[in-house]
Amino acid sequence: MVMTSAAVPGFLPRAGLDRLLDLLAADGRRVIGPTVGQGAVVYDEIHHASDLPAGWTADQAPGSYRLRQTGTERQFDYAVGPTSWKHETFPPRVPLTIGRRVNGQVTFEDALPAAPPVAFLGVRGCEIAALLTQDAVLARGIAVDRDYAARRAAALIIAVECVTPADTCFCTSMGTGPEVTTGFDLAMTELDDGFVVRAGSPAGERLLERLELTAADPGRTTAAQDAVAAARERMGDPVPTAGLPARLIAAAESPQWAEIAERCLACANCTLVCPTCFCTGVTQVSDLDGFEATAERTWDSCFTLGFSKVAGGNFRPRVQDRYRQWLTHKFATWWDQFGMSGCVGCGRCITWCPVGIDVRAELMAVAPPPPALKAAVGIIEPARPTTVKSVPPAASAALLTAPIPLPAVEELPPTYARTFVAERRRETVDTVTLRFDTSDPDLLAGRPGQFVMAALPAFSAAPISVSRFHRDGLELTIRAAGAATRALCELRRGDSVGLRGPMGRGWPVDAAEGHDVVIVTGGIGLAPLRPLVDALLADRTRFREIRLLYGARSPADRLYVEELSELAARPDLDVGQIVDRAGPDWFGRVGVVTGLFDQGHLDGPNAVAYVCGPERMMTATVDVLRDRGVSDDRIFVTLERHMECGVGLCGHCQLGKSFVCRDGPVFSLAEMGPAFGREGL
Amino acid sequence: MTGAVRATIASRPRLGIMKFASCDGCQLTILDLEDHLLDLLVRFDLVEFAEASSYRSSGPFDIVLVEGSISTPEQAEEIVRIRRETPLLVTIGACATAGGIQALRNWADHDAYRAAVYAHPEYVESLATSTPISDHVAVDAELRGCPIDPGQLLELLTALTVGRRPQLPDESVCLECKRRGTVCVLVTGNGPCLGPVTHTGCGALCPAYARGCYGCFGPREAANAPSLARWFGRDGRSDADTARLFSGFTAYAPPFRSVIDSLGGPPIASHSGEDA
Amino acid sequence: MHGTHVTTGEQRFDVQGITRVEGEGSLRLVVRDGQVIESQLAIFEAPRYFERLVVGRTPNEVLDIVARICGICPVAYQMSAVHAFEDLGEVAIEPSVRTLRRLLYCGEWIESHALHVYLLHAPDFLGCANAVELANLDRAAVERGLALKKAGNRIVAVLGGRPIHPVSVRVGGFSKVPTKRELQALRPDLDAALDHALATVDWVATFVAPDFEREERFVSLRHPTEYPMNDGRIVSSDGLDLAPTDWETAFQEEQVPWSHALQAHMGDRVPYLLGPAARITLAADQLHPTARAALDRIGLADAIRRNPYWSIAARAVELVHAVAEALDIVDGYVPPERATEPWTPSAGTASWATEAPRGLLFHHYELDERGRIASARIVPPTSQNQAAIEADMTSFAPSILDEPHDVATHRLEQLIRSYDPCISCATHFLDLTVEASS
Repeated sequence: MVMTSAAVPGFLPRAGLDRLLDLLAADGRRVIGPTVGQGAVVYDEIHHASDLPAGWTADQAPGSYRLRQTGTERQFDYAVGPTSWKHETFPPRVPLTIGRRVNGQVTFEDALPAAPPVAFLGVRGCEIAALLTQDAVLARGIAVDRDYAARRAAALIIAVECVTPADTCFCTSMGTGPEVTTGFDLAMTELDDGFVVRAGSPAGERLLERLELTAADPGRTTAAQDAVAAARERMGDPVPTAGLPARLIAAAESPQWAEIAERCLACANCTLVCPTCFCTGVTQVSDLDGFEATAERTWDSCFTLGFSKVAGGNFRPRVQDRYRQWLTHKFATWWDQFGMSGCVGCGRCITWCPVGIDVRAELMAVAPPPPALKAAVGIIEPARPTTVKSVPPAASAALLTAPIPLPAVEELPPTYARTFVAERRRETVDTVTLRFDTSDPDLLAGRPGQFVMAALPAFSAAPISVSRFHRDGLELTIRAAGAATRALCELRRGDSVGLRGPMGRGWPVDAAEGHDVVIVTGGIGLAPLRPLVDALLADRTRFREIRLLYGARSPADRLYVEELSELAARPDLDVGQIVDRAGPDWFGRVGVVTGLFDQGHLDGPNAVAYVCGPERMMTATVDVLRDRGVSDDRIFVTLERHMECGVGLCGHCQLGKSFVCRDGPVFSLAEMGPAFGREGL
Repeated sequence: MTGAVRATIASRPRLGIMKFASCDGCQLTILDLEDHLLDLLVRFDLVEFAEASSYRSSGPFDIVLVEGSISTPEQAEEIVRIRRETPLLVTIGACATAGGIQALRNWADHDAYRAAVYAHPEYVESLATSTPISDHVAVDAELRGCPIDPGQLLELLTALTVGRRPQLPDESVCLECKRRGTVCVLVTGNGPCLGPVTHTGCGALCPAYARGCYGCFGPREAANAPSLARWFGRDGRSDADTARLFSGFTAYAPPFRSVIDSLGGPPIASHSGEDA
Repeated sequence: MHGTHVTTGEQRFDVQGITRVEGEGSLRLVVRDGQVIESQLAIFEAPRYFERLVVGRTPNEVLDIVARICGICPVAYQMSAVHAFEDLGEVAIEPSVRTLRRLLYCGEWIESHALHVYLLHAPDFLGCANAVELANLDRAAVERGLALKKAGNRIVAVLGGRPIHPVSVRVGGFSKVPTKRELQALRPDLDAALDHALATVDWVATFVAPDFEREERFVSLRHPTEYPMNDGRIVSSDGLDLAPTDWETAFQEEQVPWSHALQAHMGDRVPYLLGPAARITLAADQLHPTARAALDRIGLADAIRRNPYWSIAARAVELVHAVAEALDIVDGYVPPERATEPWTPSAGTASWATEAPRGLLFHHYELDERGRIASARIVPPTSQNQAAIEADMTSFAPSILDEPHDVATHRLEQLIRSYDPCISCATHFLDLTVEASS
């Protein structure tokens, strides 16, 4: 008897499947695999081989899925159904922290559940690619989702190569299947009487040895390869991906988006069936008094209105903006963010769209391929055993083989530093400045323009810019714009709050060395610029002229009024102030902040500008700055976006290729390119 | 409750619960918060709730929850009075937020309608229409549903005591289906489903019970009802049959109403009935 | 909002908005020279025209719509309607589906009775205005009531998704039936509920009811082997015996000027009463042995028959019955082969009566050739009880005339509450064919 080894595939007769299941159970693994339920092949717990969908397949088309019996004994003759493995690796709801607040004092406790050992049975090539994609997003960036990493590490991957693609499949175009080449522990290919099995990892090799299989004979090995090759041939190459990211970005203003929005329900089904979509929100489950609250990470979607909401506005009110965000992210900006495509070609978003919107057709309509490629569309290409298309498999393999790293910089669930209010100063009718004492070295090491996430139990954590750094603490200037910021504003001396940070990229102070500096700001926008002013003045000789232009709705809406007077009295700083509506005590300028550019000369080509304020004010200011010859790489702005996590994992703050929380909130205009000021991004 | 006790708990918000044309189910949901009911009644001073207490109050209130639609002249006056008595008015349920199932009469000839049901129509005071509260006065917040969801009600009351914004997402039912692992009944052909255009909050109940959503939480934000209606019409369903799908407990809510109108009206308007 | 206006030789008792009942009603009693000249239970709940709303709809749509007549007893409306349609279509539902329907009804009875006994009615016996005051007096009792109510709600929620307006009842069965495990999960709650229900019987037996007796005609369903819920013949305490489809052969409805609800009468115009007291009186022999023993133990069967205030004991005994039967069903449950029997709607007459928590609920539908509703009549228990309630108010009047007016008025309101009137249910109703026949 020829025993299998790592190099030699074995043959598992169909009747032997239960032995595999028994071995997995003996290892203490729950087995998740395909079974028929609710009119579909879904992933659920598998106890016996009889739980598998023997003799079932499904006909899939845009917006339609119908189970059908095949009359065979084959157990894996279906294409992927509505569930994906992310239900297991990235569950819809996960408790992150339990926060408590008693007599003004807060504590936060980790609430992550354990990740027991599990085996995924029947993972397809496209699904392995999806797991690797989520690995890159959630476990291999600068921030790590600990729950995901633990669940992923606890999962044994038993792939079954797909030989029955649905009409909605396009893994061939995305370079993710149907062959299984990487990212598995065991890989099987189904034949009429059993499975050709090979190992893809040390764990898989050990399992294969314990199965004690005979080696697969060459006839079977060939039959298995032929079956997969035939599947590839049937799919062809429905989505020409060459240059697709650039084509999509170029199509940002295409009228096609509005046309799609006529049909799109913005129901979010595509994002939730997508095995790579990772956006989440945090919901607070609290007791009646808010003394104790569990923060739960919950699947969210860029198709909901709340997703991109901030106090006082929304960045993607129109359905066409949301669809554009989703499609562009999947096929274009994902490359910028993670060096790979966000789509694996599984076709779920096509089948499970309630009105049958076919992403393949929409891509071709929005971003048609250049003429040379166009000719190839629809033509079934010959089978290519080792396809190298959009996703270089080498990159994926490298991702898998590297051990899952320890948290690099940040992690979820968050850990908050308990920090006490040392001083509270009212700035305006709705704004206060809180000074916090802390010895947390991270917090104290912050730079101008960075922000912290401030958490109170029962409230969503709020991103707040640091408005001053001290040796033993920091200041936050907070406007009561929503419930969470209102609760923060109500904190008293001695109360504690959870702070996490500092986060994001701050103002590039060095960029101003040897230049004129102009700081333009409005309203509460002065808060994040105050540490910049501190930094410039602390090292005053490095910079040439410094001007601070500050606009506010009324004199009473100005922050740091006394400080502004002191600054204005300095000879080495020019301070201009202007208000929309003057009161009886106001003798200064009235109008919008750009009006202050009238005063004094601005040596544009030699100036560096820092701008923070409402989006409309920033756009107007940028127009003036450009007009005066300040180049885009010397204009820095800071952006406000909806943020839940602060570390680039929740997806809410995306602006084009950037996560505002992680890559910003400070950007130069040159970095943002056409994204600055574009509607609906 | 004695005066002395009242004095010590004066900081509790004065809560009134009232009803107009409705089935009482949304008010009952308050009593269905069995595990929390007594604790809630410590935190709220329930000064008006005729269904459950013999104490009555005509105001002022700190919070009023209103069930039911406006369907008589007296109700139209009463809601204006109540609005003056409270800084925070919350509508609860499909009747109060969308007019309820009884709003189907807004499409019909009311006199004929009333005659069909009552032998002596002159005895019955009734407006020709059943309309949501927001058609009459400003509404500060709403809980959707027929009936409202006890979890959402608890979230609203908790948010009021904690002082935060209630987490009441306006997304589609689909997200909840997907989160709970329910397979889409629309795509598998197990019946037409209004979930994609319907406001979440029920926990995606109907699909979990193997049937399509019938829209009792009403249209969600950006509800693209025309697109879904076109899709329903694709497999040979008549306009009238598509219209009936939207002609439920929130039929009168604008995005559903206009789809119903575009398809020729609800069954009630198209069927001659037996009252000739 | 109690008001009394005394004019010469005349006493008027008005309650403009009766509290602790479902929906909006008022009562008026006018006594002149010791004679009752007006006794009215006015139902001014805004009409919602349900019988018209269902016209043109399919039977399954009707099940969703008629549930909305009442938030307290939606299952009852679904049950009368679904049986009517299945009777027309000669749909043979599986025995285990039939049993699940009984379980669903048990859930609603538990929820509705626990609500009435603990939150609405008991405060009257203990001098409280609401359950909060009752809780201050006896928190354990209110918690027991809430636990019972929750157990009932959980049954309905497991079978139908939610306690109010459940979604799973379909012509031919259910859209989805529970697994054995899902039903077993109810058991701990139901075990506790049985203790609570038995404690409820003992608790209410300690109450002191006002001294008031009258002879009443009772009507309910009666079934040879079951306590009446979904099935049985319509019987009365004076010999009526009808198929559940034939209510209209013995009863008529008419409109009275003071009410938005139609009143119902038998041919002789002698009022009749439905509900727990009627069922206990007419079907005590079919009670679950545990409930029967509880009834015997407190020895109030006769009082339940004679004194409307003792309906609270009837409800308590029915709580025991519903919990005990629910436990039996949960333990013996074998899931049906299929959740729904196939069925094609056709033209014809569909009618049926079931026992809502408040009594006999009759539905009648005419279906057109497409199987859509052409006309409907829905006769809820409270509108049928109106005449009996008004007659009881007349009989009760002499005993309160010497009381101070506000006390007397309060007594009258308490009397009304003892019938557990469901005013939301009672409001709608009827079509012109009745006027023609009356």
